[in-house]
Amino acid sequence: MTLSSSNAEGVISLDENKVKEKKKSDFSRLKHQKVLLIWTAILTVYGIIFYYLPLGGWIMAFQNYRPKDGLLHSKFVGLEKFKLLFSDVSFLRVIRNTLAMGIINLIVTFVMAIVFAILLNEVSHRGGKKVVQTISYLPHFLSWIIVTGILHDALSGNGIINQLMLNFHLISQPINFFAHEKFFWPIVAFANVWKETGWNAIIYLAAITSIDPSLYEAAAIDGAGRWAKIKHVTLPSLKPTIMILLLMNVGNVLNAGFEIQYLLGNGLVQNVSQTIDIYVLKWGISQGDYSLGTAAGIFKSVVSIILIVFFNQMAKRHGEERLF
Amino acid sequence: MRQKLVSALLLASMVGTALTGCGSKASAAGGAVNKDGIKEFTAFFAVPGNEINDDNEIQQLIAEKTGCKVKETWLTGQTNEEAIGTLIAGGEYPDFVDGGDATVQLYEAGALVPLDDYIDKYPNIKEFFTDQEWDSLRQSDGHIYWIPQFSNIYGEERECTHNDEAFWIQTRVLKWAGYPEIHTLDQYFDLIEKYYESNPTMEDGTANIPYTILCDDWRYFCLENAGEFLDGYPNDGSVIVDTDNNKIVDYNTTPTTKKYFEKLNEEYKKGIVDPESFTQTYDEYIAKLSTGRVLGMVDQWWDFSSNAEDAIKTAGLDKAGCNYVPLPITIDEGMKNQWHNSGGVLNVSSGLGITTSCKDVEGALQFVNDLLGQEVHDLRFWGVKGEDYEVGDDGMYYRTPEERANVADTAYKASHSCPYSYFPQWLGTSRDGKNAMKPEGQEQEFYDGLPDTVKECFDAYGVKTYVEMLGTNPAPGPWYPMYTYSSTMTTATPGGTAWALMDEIKHQYLPKVVMADNFETGWDEYMKAYESCKPEDFISEMQTELERRIEVAKKYE
Repeated sequence: MTLSSSNAEGVISLDENKVKEKKKSDFSRLKHQKVLLIWTAILTVYGIIFYYLPLGGWIMAFQNYRPKDGLLHSKFVGLEKFKLLFSDVSFLRVIRNTLAMGIINLIVTFVMAIVFAILLNEVSHRGGKKVVQTISYLPHFLSWIIVTGILHDALSGNGIINQLMLNFHLISQPINFFAHEKFFWPIVAFANVWKETGWNAIIYLAAITSIDPSLYEAAAIDGAGRWAKIKHVTLPSLKPTIMILLLMNVGNVLNAGFEIQYLLGNGLVQNVSQTIDIYVLKWGISQGDYSLGTAAGIFKSVVSIILIVFFNQMAKRHGEERLF
Repeated sequence: MRQKLVSALLLASMVGTALTGCGSKASAAGGAVNKDGIKEFTAFFAVPGNEINDDNEIQQLIAEKTGCKVKETWLTGQTNEEAIGTLIAGGEYPDFVDGGDATVQLYEAGALVPLDDYIDKYPNIKEFFTDQEWDSLRQSDGHIYWIPQFSNIYGEERECTHNDEAFWIQTRVLKWAGYPEIHTLDQYFDLIEKYYESNPTMEDGTANIPYTILCDDWRYFCLENAGEFLDGYPNDGSVIVDTDNNKIVDYNTTPTTKKYFEKLNEEYKKGIVDPESFTQTYDEYIAKLSTGRVLGMVDQWWDFSSNAEDAIKTAGLDKAGCNYVPLPITIDEGMKNQWHNSGGVLNVSSGLGITTSCKDVEGALQFVNDLLGQEVHDLRFWGVKGEDYEVGDDGMYYRTPEERANVADTAYKASHSCPYSYFPQWLGTSRDGKNAMKPEGQEQEFYDGLPDTVKECFDAYGVKTYVEMLGTNPAPGPWYPMYTYSSTMTTATPGGTAWALMDEIKHQYLPKVVMADNFETGWDEYMKAYESCKPEDFISEMQTELERRIEVAKKYE
């Protein structure tokens, strides 16, 4: 990259010999990096085949797609499917649910991971720290079907949560957690925190270990206690990591989830439980309206891209770390 | 140099995998012949089912007789529409398929082979339906694409189980009350309340659950459609057909349905209706029934009999009277009930189809034809003579107690039995004119195989079978049942859209209505939401179909 740009700028002022020499060295460098280039080419081809070619399927959103006619012979209907999508009240509700759960999950898991990493870093007993870290990231490897099974049991009428609350006389009747809309988002947020906190904290722990110990020593000499060290050394040093991860996660806000909502939801809470992904499944696969499902999928991708670009620009403006 | 060689090799292998990855998956199926000279087909059925072992004994016997073997796979963890939608999106199919309610999607995707040109060549298949029935299977393009497998009666009808929907109750409840006559909804709940009051727990101390409602996804019929039966109408499924003037009536808004939900609301407040009803999954529901704690519920027999009823037997809970029997319940005393219909129901909306991925359509159909032959049919449903059943001096088949225990044992079934249960099959009387096609229809064997508590209950009511508990009625008319049409509706028509929306609204509001503090306001909210789905669009499309069916039937009179 830098090579070619300096070449383009300097070309006029340089004499021909020098240009030749430069070109030759460019070529020999290319030759030198042959293996790297081949690998890059392979990955580019991989990217094209598996990331860009499938985008051709987006054409379905502008057709009245029928599997029998295929992509080539289905009738084009322009933006009709998008119109249908945005006039559907349930789609608007689904967007609201996705955004709400996405944002709640983002904030809660994010804050919890940082807090957890810092707390864990303060533990001075090495063995204890290792044990806690290992235990806390294990749930990451459980599939959602298991996690929802555990939740279903724990929160059921005679599950552990209700039994505890009954024994402590906090409630007089078992609460049916899955029958009330107000509990659904908190349950989803809790499940995400439980499953991902330990895993997400690993990156922060790694970042913390790379902080120069002399900073802590200097702070100690200046009379900083534990709290002051966290506030003035650890957190500022983590800031670039936090920004990058935040940016990457913002793009995922609309990926608020599919499995957990799909597996925990029921008729009573469907107003707050259904996400865009469930909507796509329902209309695209179950009802066989592939075009409508694709349109909803496109909408989701476009919003995600806008979010990422927007927050990247914000970060740029404030002079923070950024993705691109 | 060596490094280069390694990277070149890596490169070659990666390109290789990338290319083959794009090509079509070579499928071993499609009537490929294995080393023993047996053709192997694949099948997918969009219903949950039990996989049998690869070395299943009867499957091997059938393979020796017919030269074919089918690897069956079943629905797991998805709805049938999702599974079929995924197949269509992938474009590759098993040889045989039954998509359940989503079968029409397969037809619309052009995934099925038209069968009408072949049918005449296979006598057993040809014999399976009358010309009128075959014609009713023709799709919009005039071809036949699938063969409904069930409810087809050979000779005289032989039916002992009520395979359909009913209000079920445990025999111990009836016994405790001295086997009273229970005819109305009020009597039913009254009995359950009284029993629960004096028996809050089972013998071992676990709490009884007086009444639970399964409400999981498509299985919410256990909550939703009792209204039509309570009014004395048969299972048209999605609507009532008023036989006086051949008009479609929406059962969701009838006074009887409202009374039914009001009753549920009342019982919910009294603590009789299980508070977990609307959030439990199907598995949790079956687990509950299997413990014998649930006194009563509405359900279809096929939905709980093969797992919960068997589990109750295996756990020895049948001695405590935990098996279920159906009751002839209507909203008022003295009404005719039509919970049970005789004559078999031809469900034209789904069946066994052969896909365009099948490379040997004739071989596949020959196999279906062979499965309908008497000898193989006996192997499928009765098993091996001397191992699974005995033949009496009068030529009647019967089972020893040990053989009966085997039949209820899932491990034995997986290694030994192979009913090919989603391939076409006969009910009624065997071609020998004596035995029933299936053990469930063999009256004496059926009665002998019942748990003692159920026998005692039947004796008290003076009946011999589940069907007699309810009484039976002929099908009400040539249109019956209307659900075979509504289950093929898609959102492509206004009626189909209304049907999908109604389904969604009912899923959400019916539980709310039952749990409402004030029933009337809850019902009004529900009705408001319900009206906004434009149910009239759905009703008018059903009316058109009803008239079409009556017209078609006239041609054959």
